[in-house]
Amino acid sequence: MKTIHMHKLSAVMEMKLKTIFSKNFIIMPLFSIGFTFIMKLVYGAVTEGGINDVLCGLALSYGALMNITGTGIYCVSAALAEEKEKHTLRVLMTSSVNGLEFFLGSLIPFVGMMLAVNVVAALVVGLSMTGVQWAAYLGVSLLAAVTCAVVGMIFGIFSKNQVTASTVTTPAMLVLMMVPMFGNLNKTMETISGFLFTGVLQQTVVNISQRKDQLVNGLSIAVIAVEIVAAVACFLVIYRRNGYDSQ
Amino acid sequence: MTEAYIRAEHITKQYDKEPVLKDLNAVLQKGEILGFLGPSGAGKTTTIKILTGQLKPTSGDAYLLGIHVKNMDETIYEQIGIVTDQSGVYERLSVYENLKYFARILRVDAGEIDGLLQRVGLLEHKKKAAGKLSKGQMQRLVLARAVLHKPRILFLDEPTSGLDPSTALEIHRMLTELKNEGMAIFLTTHNMEEAAKLCDHVALLNDGQIVEYGTPKELCLRYNRDKRYRVLLESGEELVLAQTQENVDRLSELMKSNQVAALHSCEPTLESVFLTVTGRKLQ
Repeated sequence: MKTIHMHKLSAVMEMKLKTIFSKNFIIMPLFSIGFTFIMKLVYGAVTEGGINDVLCGLALSYGALMNITGTGIYCVSAALAEEKEKHTLRVLMTSSVNGLEFFLGSLIPFVGMMLAVNVVAALVVGLSMTGVQWAAYLGVSLLAAVTCAVVGMIFGIFSKNQVTASTVTTPAMLVLMMVPMFGNLNKTMETISGFLFTGVLQQTVVNISQRKDQLVNGLSIAVIAVEIVAAVACFLVIYRRNGYDSQ
Repeated sequence: MTEAYIRAEHITKQYDKEPVLKDLNAVLQKGEILGFLGPSGAGKTTTIKILTGQLKPTSGDAYLLGIHVKNMDETIYEQIGIVTDQSGVYERLSVYENLKYFARILRVDAGEIDGLLQRVGLLEHKKKAAGKLSKGQMQRLVLARAVLHKPRILFLDEPTSGLDPSTALEIHRMLTELKNEGMAIFLTTHNMEEAAKLCDHVALLNDGQIVEYGTPKELCLRYNRDKRYRVLLESGEELVLAQTQENVDRLSELMKSNQVAALHSCEPTLESVFLTVTGRKLQ
């Protein structure tokens, strides 16, 4: 197990925060918030008597899914690809930053950003939540964000530049986002969605908006646990074989 | 005897069974500059990557500060600095922010950055975005970043390639200063003048193999087989005389009659030595 030096970890995290707030990356979190707001307006406009909690939940779930997949998969992979494209990754690795420090330093800011955006999205739609509901929403969001970020790192390993990252992550983003989004329109999609961590996130938001007592069931917890472990295991296998650069 | 800063023993490297380095040996001591001189594709960059633990050799042993490259972890990079042909700077950040980032990672007092920028002539550009620097300024920033933590060994891969002569001279001056401060410098170049000027020892690398090794002066004298002299006469005429008894007498006569304006030995340059040894030009 590699040692984590806090001064190196914090330096990498600060650099990644600057990356997130650069124009190439901040668009994704902002777009997710904007999309949530627009969905709220659309549902409000087409519903008699104004938007209700269930529709608020739907709008929030769409925004949260877009944020988790877009920021988690695209932004994380593109940030890693950018480091390779600009040759800064090699400089970092030959400046005594180890793989674990880089991994955590890259993931934590993005996961933090995803959580923050999900909180803002919830405030934007105005869905009232109890403490338990907030805990469930943030807990599932956190696990989904971590899973997506690890998947993003995997894609990043195989992306030599940001354009490639954008190309290779799009199909995965679409599957992870669209299947839960359209789950209520198609039985097969609904079934598949139940086995995706993004589907678990969406169902949790729907359960909150419908004021159900059980927000997350055993199967959902098992799905998200298995997928987070699978993502990390997959990352470790690929990292050991390629490092952060498969080229 | 003190431990060599770099010791490479019988290093070979193959890519897809294609040999890139063949039985390479090298030693670098404290306060020395060792130059690896060779054309593109000779294996210079591969050598640096192996010596800095970025690439595993196919066979052979390499030691950096006494540690075998197979046993090195990332902490070794706190004692070495690397300048490659790719800048690897954060273009969005300013010159100062780039150095501050690495100062944090390498636990260097940020108060030392201004002094370093002054030393490399970039102090007035400290707030400029790194992406807007000229090539020469960029290379000075990369050099500043590489020596920020006062490493014991500095690796330089073609540090002056494509730079204007005055910037190259500035970099040469800095490297000489660093060497005098005790830093060991491993330099790859295809610029024979640079190697002759800076290096204590040079290794001529051709097709992954060291074909000659020694001090620049030793190598030039070793291949000074013709022992010829260029004589410039007061009349403007130029003579090239081989060292024969007849020419010695003739030269003596010319000097006695005060006809000699200048006299130069014609020992070969590193470039001509390389050409003699390999039949190839460096560039």
